Amino acid sequence: MSSKTETALEILEKQLNQPLVAALEVCARCGICTEACHYYQAEPVEAHMPSLRAEQLRQVYRSRHDWLGRLFPAWVNAEALTDEKLAALSEMAFTRCSLCARCTINCPMGVDTPLLMSTLRAMATATGNAPEVLEMLADAAIEKGRDTSIYLDFFRESIKDMEKELQELTGNPLATIPVQKKGARKLYVALAGAHTILPAAAIFDAVHEDWTLSIYEAANYGVFLNDVTRAKAICKRIVDEARELGVQEIIVSECGHAYYTLRWVAPNWFGDEFPFKVTSIVEAIAGYLDRGLLSLDPTANPEAITYHDSCNLGRKGGVLEEPRQIMKAATTGFRELTPTREEAYCCGGGSGLVANPDVFDLRMLAGKPKVEQVTRSGASIVVAACENCRLQLGELSQHFGAGFGVTAIADLVVKAMRLPGARDTVEAQMTSATEPAVK
Amino acid sequence: MTFLLFTQILAIAAVVFSLSAFAFRLRKFTQLAVPRDRSPLKGDPQAGINYALTLGMLPWAKESTRRHAVAYLRGVGFHLVVFLVLFLFLASPWLGSIPGAFRTILTIICCIGSILALWGFLARFIDHGLKVLSTPDDYFAVILVSIFLASAAAMLVDSAFLPFFYLASALTFIYMPLGKIRHCIYFAFSRIFFGRFFGRRAVLPHNQQNKVTA
Repeated sequence: MSSKTETALEILEKQLNQPLVAALEVCARCGICTEACHYYQAEPVEAHMPSLRAEQLRQVYRSRHDWLGRLFPAWVNAEALTDEKLAALSEMAFTRCSLCARCTINCPMGVDTPLLMSTLRAMATATGNAPEVLEMLADAAIEKGRDTSIYLDFFRESIKDMEKELQELTGNPLATIPVQKKGARKLYVALAGAHTILPAAAIFDAVHEDWTLSIYEAANYGVFLNDVTRAKAICKRIVDEARELGVQEIIVSECGHAYYTLRWVAPNWFGDEFPFKVTSIVEAIAGYLDRGLLSLDPTANPEAITYHDSCNLGRKGGVLEEPRQIMKAATTGFRELTPTREEAYCCGGGSGLVANPDVFDLRMLAGKPKVEQVTRSGASIVVAACENCRLQLGELSQHFGAGFGVTAIADLVVKAMRLPGARDTVEAQMTSATEPAVK
Repeated sequence: MTFLLFTQILAIAAVVFSLSAFAFRLRKFTQLAVPRDRSPLKGDPQAGINYALTLGMLPWAKESTRRHAVAYLRGVGFHLVVFLVLFLFLASPWLGSIPGAFRTILTIICCIGSILALWGFLARFIDHGLKVLSTPDDYFAVILVSIFLASAAAMLVDSAFLPFFYLASALTFIYMPLGKIRHCIYFAFSRIFFGRFFGRRAVLPHNQQNKVTA
């Protein structure tokens, strides 16, 4: 057994807890989950069957933990891990599954296939089988967090420039984008680029929110690698910043995995409960609407508009009603996709796939059911509260010649706020909404 | 020693083996960690668990089971008959006291269960997707249970078939913790983890309040 294989198996053994063993043991191989997978919907071949993908890890598990698997491997389809198998499993886990959990929702047993694929990702990362680009992006974020002095002055300067844009947009000469303001109530964590800062800042300005901008980006590529050390290090920058500033709440910009990580996963990494709340900007906007702090003109968005549920935000994150509340308040032509909410199709861009140029063709294929859904809905604009989804949807629209535009919820809201300096068309905003997540 | 007594002893020994093996498996399983979830609740995990174990298993609760309603109902029916026959196994010493009409109903149910099992067996040959997924263990397990259910129907018709029922039961009980049938002990855990995950996020059940105010 090679050292790589040994390391991978060590990782597997370490991760064996009750949920993982239940997921490994409970599958009855009934195949009912098959069509739930967007890959399979796009291309009905064996390789895209969720149960068959998960079976690859089960083979390895059975070769070590199953009585019959050890004695008569062929009887239960047990197979020992080899370097070749590890490479194949790694490739599968990083390219043929977007960890969307649609198969889990659809499994009669509730098999957590994303947990199995994440375990494979951890095994792959520990043995150098993970996509380099994800490792580079994760390491770059960690490095950036180590010494902020390298970019802080430049960051503050660019925010000052952005402030001018904000003042123009809102018509409020006193509108500001506070950075690292001690004692602020809320810490907003954006993504790289003005497009996730300006609209949020305009909304915060309108509701007189006591907020400050984080100097870090929300994106966390360590999560995609299922490398807890890296993912925790990336999160820690934001958690420490929030603690230091004494904020009561972290508001995560429209980024599915960043929200999912900070809201649902990170509290388990740090061993204590956070002294602050973690919400998505989508929840924050819905809250402002609930409290009557934000007044929107839905006629500002008269187009046929639909909403795409990001898997991390919706099915896995529980932010299902809030975006709909906003859509109804900010548009006149809102229509649902079918299926929707927890049954929504993944766009095929999640779990780091959008960042990996090597999987473009597969990514486009995986997004086909989403394109068909949007086309059926008759919508000319798709709203998504996740940067990776927006990038993927934009590319899908182009690739399939579907002709729909893509925008963010905050952009839509800003337009419905009828601000004096707002750009006239959603199309103009779409340009900014589809800027790359990581530069 | 009569053949009947021999098969009875064999069946009881098989039950003891099965229960011991399951107890061992369960002990090993429960010794594993359950990751603690410190994230603040949005929904009610218990409501999610309740849903996962009840309404969430209804054929119309999921897109997949709506799509595969017949296959799903076949599976549900088959499993219900298995539980019935397990009960009949326990009640078999008092078989004579079962009234005739009720006995006929039970026989029909067992026959249906056996046919459903056989259907599952054939489906694994016919359906390409299932064929690809299947291992020898799958075929053996389903044919074994099919025989188990058929032997129950036979012994209900004529008690002369009791030894065959006990033999089939013994084989089934021995194989239970070894092969795929053991998924039965993980089922509840899997559904509970599922329900807890989606329940605490207010994703399931659907009517949960799903609001966080800023």
